[in-house]
Parts: sequence; C-alpha cells; structure tokens
Amino acid sequence: MTAHILTWWTILRICLEERLVYRGDFALGTLMRFMPIVTQIFLWTAIFAAAGQTEIAGYTRDNFVAYYLLTMVSRAFSSMPSLASGIALQIRNGEIKKFLIQPIDMIGFLLLSRIAHKLVYYAVAWAPFALVFFLCRSFFTHGWPAPEILAAYVGSLVMAFLLGFFLESLIGMIGFWFLEVSSLLFVYMLFNFFFSGHMFPLDMLPAPWDTVVQLIPLQYLAYFPAAVFLGKIQGPELVQGLCVQAGWVIALIVANRVAFACGVRRYSGYGG
Amino acid sequence: MSLIQLDGLAKSYTIYQKQEGLKASLAGLFSREYRTVEAVRGIDLQVEQGEFVAFLGPNGAGKTTTLKLLSGVITPTAGTAKVLGFVPWRRENAYRRRFALVMGQKNQLWWDLPAQESFRLHQQIYRIDAQSFAATRDELVDLLDVRGLLTQPVRELSLGERMKMELIAALLHSPEVLFLDEPTIGLDVVAQHNIQKFLKHYQEFRKITILLTSHYMKDIAALCRRVVVIAKGQIVYDGSLSGIIDQFSSHKVLTLQFANDTMPSDLARYGDVLEIAEPKVTLKVDRNVIADVLSAVLANHTLEDVSVEDPPLEEVIAEVFSQSQSSSPSAAAGAGQGGQETISDVSSA
Amino acid sequence: MTGLVAYVRVFLTFARNSLVRDMTFRSNFMIESISSLSWMLMNLGFYVLIFSYTQNIGQGTDAWDKYQFFVFISTTMFVNSLVQAFFMPNAEEFSELIRTGGLDFALLKPIDTQFLISLHRVSWSSLSNFGFAVLLMAYALTHLDYTPSWFQVLAYPFYVLLGVAIMYSLMISLAATSIWLGRNQSLYNFWFYITNFSRYPMEIYRGPLGTPLRHFFTYLIPVLVVINVPARLLAKPLLPDYGYLALFALAATLASLVASRWIFTQALLSYRSASS
Repeated sequence: MTAHILTWWTILRICLEERLVYRGDFALGTLMRFMPIVTQIFLWTAIFAAAGQTEIAGYTRDNFVAYYLLTMVSRAFSSMPSLASGIALQIRNGEIKKFLIQPIDMIGFLLLSRIAHKLVYYAVAWAPFALVFFLCRSFFTHGWPAPEILAAYVGSLVMAFLLGFFLESLIGMIGFWFLEVSSLLFVYMLFNFFFSGHMFPLDMLPAPWDTVVQLIPLQYLAYFPAAVFLGKIQGPELVQGLCVQAGWVIALIVANRVAFACGVRRYSGYGG
Repeated sequence: MSLIQLDGLAKSYTIYQKQEGLKASLAGLFSREYRTVEAVRGIDLQVEQGEFVAFLGPNGAGKTTTLKLLSGVITPTAGTAKVLGFVPWRRENAYRRRFALVMGQKNQLWWDLPAQESFRLHQQIYRIDAQSFAATRDELVDLLDVRGLLTQPVRELSLGERMKMELIAALLHSPEVLFLDEPTIGLDVVAQHNIQKFLKHYQEFRKITILLTSHYMKDIAALCRRVVVIAKGQIVYDGSLSGIIDQFSSHKVLTLQFANDTMPSDLARYGDVLEIAEPKVTLKVDRNVIADVLSAVLANHTLEDVSVEDPPLEEVIAEVFSQSQSSSPSAAAGAGQGGQETISDVSSA
Repeated sequence: MTGLVAYVRVFLTFARNSLVRDMTFRSNFMIESISSLSWMLMNLGFYVLIFSYTQNIGQGTDAWDKYQFFVFISTTMFVNSLVQAFFMPNAEEFSELIRTGGLDFALLKPIDTQFLISLHRVSWSSLSNFGFAVLLMAYALTHLDYTPSWFQVLAYPFYVLLGVAIMYSLMISLAATSIWLGRNQSLYNFWFYITNFSRYPMEIYRGPLGTPLRHFFTYLIPVLVVINVPARLLAKPLLPDYGYLALFALAATLASLVASRWIFTQALLSYRSASS
C-alpha cells in the first residue's frame, strides 16, 4: 500500500515540477483570465441603462456581474485544457503503450496529473482571484451565503472538476476509433462555452432551450455552481441538482472505464 | 580569398539550468540560474571552391552550430566569416539565393502535400524561371529516381524517400554552396548508399562546394577527401581521413606468428597483449619504439609471419573524441556514444 | 515592382497549396466550417437574447439598436474571418516553428521572413464565416432606419482592411514574444482577451474606469478602432466629431504595422543569438 502511495506521490511531484518550469505562461495566464469580466460589466451596464429596468430575467446588473465572476471560479475547476487532445495524441503516436506496459492505470494517472495541474494553478491563481473578488465585493449584494449553501457550492465545484475531467477524457478516447479528434473537440468546446452558462445565466433562455439545457450535463460545469452560490437554486431543488450532478459523474466514470477497455482491446487488436 | 573563410568564429549562448526537485522548481519561478554554453570557441577555416569537406565530431562538439552560423541562421558572439564574399548573418537575399542547408533531422517540405507542390513554392520563393526550374527538377528527380513519388503526400514517403525530396528542394535553385547536417541520419544502409552516390555524383559534376557533418564514417570515407575534426567547439584536426591516424594514434598493431610452437611466455615486455590465438599473437606497441621492438623480437624468436598495422580508423577517432572530451563528464558520455556509433557502423560494413 | 509581383506569386502559391491541403482533409474542412459557423450563431443568439429584453444597447446618440448592432456583429465577423483565414494559423504555428527549430528554414529563404512566417498557410474554412457575415450584413442593412451614402459604403471595406491590419500587427507581435518566453500557451488566451475588448461598441466603456480603458484600447493598443470605426461608419449617420476617429484609425494602422515590424525584427535577432 505504501509503495502504491509512493508511486502516485512521485507521479504527482513530477507533474508539479513539469508545470512549474514555464513561469512566463503562468504570470500572463492568470492575469488575463479576468479581462472578459471587465467588458461584461460595461456591456451589462449599457444594457441596463438602455432597458430602464432594474431587473432582467430576475437578475440585477450586480447579479449579472457576480454571476460572471462565479462562473470564472466554476471554469477554473471544470476546464481541462489539452486533456482530450493529449489523450488523442498519445493514442496516435503510440505513447499510450506505456500505460499498457507499465503497471499504471491511465485514467488514474491522468486524473492525478490533472489534479497536480490544478493545484499548481490554484497555488498561483488564488491571489489574483482573491484580489478580483475583493475589488468586486460590492457586486455580491447578498454577502456570503449560508454555511449549508456554501458547503453545497464547494461540493458542486468538486463535482464540476470531476465532470469536466471525465467528459474530456471520454472525448479524448474517441481517438481509439477516429484519428482526428481535434475538430470534434472544438465543437465540444463551443457547445460547452454556450451551454455551460459561461456566456449568460442559463435561466434567461426561452423555451424550448431551457429544457435542452436541463437534459445535458454541461450546465453543471459553470452555471449550476454559480447559481447555487447566488441562491437561485435552493431547498429540494438544490438537493435534486446535486444528486443529478453526482449521477452524471458516476455515469461518466462508468463510460470512461468502458471506453478505455474497448479502446485498448481495439488498439491491441490492431497491433498498435 | 577562399570561398569560405572563418576567422576566430565563436558562439556561446546561455541556457536555463533546470534544477532537480520540486523545491528547486518552485524557486525557479522567482529566480533562475543560467549557464553559458560555449558551442563554438574560435574556429579558423578556409574552404576552396569545389571542396567536399566533412565535419567530424561527437554530439555537441559544435558541428551543427558552425553550419548554422555559416547559413546565417544564428549570429556569432565573436569572429568573422565570409561565404561567397558575404557575411552570412546579414542574411542578404543575394547570399540566400546561392546556398542551401539540408538538415537530416528536420523537414522543410509541406507534410500533407505532394513534394512537387513544395518544389513549386521554392520556385516562387527563389524566383527560378519556369524553364530552368523544370530542367533542374527533372534532372534531380531522375538522378534520385523518385519520379513516381512526386505526387504522393510527403507524410506517406519513407524516411529515405523524404530525404531525397529534401535534397531536391534544396538544390532546385542550383546553390553554389551546400551545407548538409547529418543527411543520412536514421537511414538504412541502402538508402544511405543512394544518398552518398547521388552527392558524390552531383558534387563532381557541378563542382559545388559542400560542407557535411555526419556520424557515419562511411559517408565521410565515401565522399570527403578533407576531414575537419571538431571537439569541444574547436578544430583539433584538419586534413585527410587517413592522416588522422598518423596524427592521433599513439600505437601500432603488431601481429606475430611464431614458428614451431615456440610461443614465449614473456610477451608483455614487447607491448600490450591484445589477443593470443596460438601460434598467433596481437600486440599493441607504442609507435616510437616499434622498430626496437621488432628487432628485439626477430633477434630472440623464430617467426613464421609478421605484420605491422595501423589501428582501425574508427578506434582512433573514438579515442580522439574521448581524449578531447574527458575533462567534462557529461560530454564524455556523448563522445562515447559517438564513438560507438562509428564503430558499429563500420563493423556492419 | 517585380519584387511585388514575386511576392504576390509566392502568396498565391501559399494559398493554392493550402487549398490543396484542405481539400485532402475534406471532412475536417467541413467540420471546421460548420463549427466556426455555429460559433457565430451562438454569438448572434446571445445578442438576440439580449435584444429580447431590451431595445437598445447604450443610451442617446450612443445607442445601438438591434439592426445597427447586427451591422456591428457582421463587421466583427468580417474582420475575424479574414484574420483567422490568413494570419491565425501562421501565428499559431510560429511558436511551434521556434520550438522545433523549423524557423531556421524560414531564415534561409531569400524572401522577407515576416512575410513568409505570416502568410504561408491559409485557412480556407475560416472564410465560411465571411459568407455568413455577408448574409447577416444584407439582412441588417435592409432593416436599418436610414440608408448609408455611397461614400460610406465605399469606405467601409477599406476600414475593414485597416482593422484586419491592426489585428494582424497585434497578433504577430504576440506570436513573436514566444521567442522570449519559450513555450507560450497563454498567447492564444492573451489574444482572445485583448480582442475581446474590440467586440463591443466603444461607447459602453464610460465612467471612472471605462474612460481610461477606452483611451488605452484606442490610443495605446488600438483594438477598439478595429471594429468600431467601420461598423459605425456604415451603421450610423456620419457625424463630424466622428471624422477624427476615422482619420486616427488610419494613423493607428500605420503605427501598428511599424511597431509590429520592429518587434518581429527584434525577436528574430534574439532568436538568432540564443538558438543553438
């Protein structure tokens, strides 16, 4: 057991080191991430000024800004840059073989290196995040939510991370069947951006789109955690939402296992 | 003035020294240690028109850096160089139209397109008129026997075929000077031979000047009369291939075949015993004392046969490399590798 | 003159080779076209959604109504599709060229290196957005309250091209920095975040924070000029105080091109002295 933990610890450490080598990326990346929020503030200010209302679809201007800030947090958990393309590339260039040869589980390895990736990111990014949220505290007109809401929020964030991971790794494993995954991935990213609620709060959508959004898991990547924090989803609705999110995570873990098993069988069938 | 003239050419650059361990990596976020690498330290060289010169040296000796300096891709830290009367790193178009660089490990053709499309692009970039373009292309294509492959995407070609296409692309504008960096790397014996044959023919026919770096002794033995050995960024030898032995080998190989089982037991006093296969023995003997040793042997023993030979070339070169590199441990590994490659390559012949 | 002709011919060969390449991966080409079109549609959908809650964006003379704003959006699409078709794939490949050393070959060619690096690949699929933008523009123009003059119609494509030139300058400058920064994944993000400012009417940037921001992105990094000048030129009646901005756009374009040329040259110099 200790040997096992040691192996995983070593992997985690190597991944951390690898990620720390490029500091130029780091500094730029975290700083720039908040730029779009600025334009959103101005855009919604202009919209509210023209509309002459204090609320649009149940959101005040401050609500909108708070919502966008919170989706940034959700995305910091659920986005998985170059995960799927990395898997597809490893399948294509045969690097995947090392997971078949070495006694390491691929999905576990990738999950761990992604956790390392995220930890390093948060280690640097918490400061700009804290700064921005402090500067923007006036947009959170209700203050901090109740402890149980906060707990639900944290839970939904962790699940957003898992959901994002397993969705992308599943797409990456399509590479076992089709060589070209990048365009598919691009389509996924587009839909993700729109239907996760990164562009606008999903409850603004008219019928029939509101039902479409409910039927796919993408809303749990950005909209759902943010809406929980803002108190838009409460009581039994909240419990139900968290359960559905957990259900999606479990379903995707199963799907990943199945896809990997089938993919490997197909891969070794072809002789690599 | 020679066609290629290098005076005290030097190039050093700084690289980021990655530290081992997580803590050091974290620290690397804030401050970094840099290390200066002296890739080329003062090279003087003259090459005349029509010469075919080989650069020989272990990995990291500075061969590729020298070629890059001469093609103007990088600028030197000190020294001067003139090729065809131009300073390479000024990158004048007039110069760039008159030379070509081929790198065995890099590919400059469009990966997804048939090679002929890349050729056409070269025609436009080098502004080759349609007639001479067609003539040169056809000539090269026939010489290298790749006519049937022109319409196939480059990614579908074998490494050897791709190298041939790279060569054609580089020669389309009929360069007067050609720099070849490991042109046969990774190729099988047949493909290597084809490339060698082509280069030899082309160079003799066109009388162009070629500088070649290679790990393969066969390339060099087949093509170049002049060899420049570079180690640790400096020229340690400049002359013929066979001259390397005269200059660098400290010993000769003496083979004695004793008559009627009179094999002596005290052979070690004549030199290092390399091999004993009675009644034959092979000894390594210092060059300076070979005459004394021979007369002593002849005076004391009855011999059936005797031969004095130079040690194998590849062994001498490996020795040169490891001597010049022994002061830096990391580079010595590279030298050993280079030497091994040389040996295995020649022994496969 | 012969030099210019030669460069045009090289460019045409680039365009032709890229088309041949795109056509060998036809299904990929289709998917790319469709996905960039759906991205456009999603963007449009967002604004349709917004205009279902409000009549205008902004107030008074600064207000953009739905169809004026559609002119704005189609201008964004024109500029973006041109940038994506001609420059984006090259800028992305630039840092790859630096990493793999492929830049060496570019330096050997008897042709301007910046030209070679900036244009050697054309992404034809990105031009499908251009087609969509034409349709949207036609729709918006027929629903506008007023009819633009001939001068406005003629000046419009010219200013779209100026916008493309500014975007190109910014992009190649950013790409050139990867010589200094090593691997630079944030490049693409940085580009996205900066150009993000350009995608909205400049009038929305007002107030104690907005005004300096507007000035910064107008005068220092002139991305606000890119879409706003041509869009406004076509969507709204010409106002004299607006003329100066149109003149400024001309100067800003020239300055951007010169600056990007300088940055590119400097970056190459340091590549050539740092590379092994």
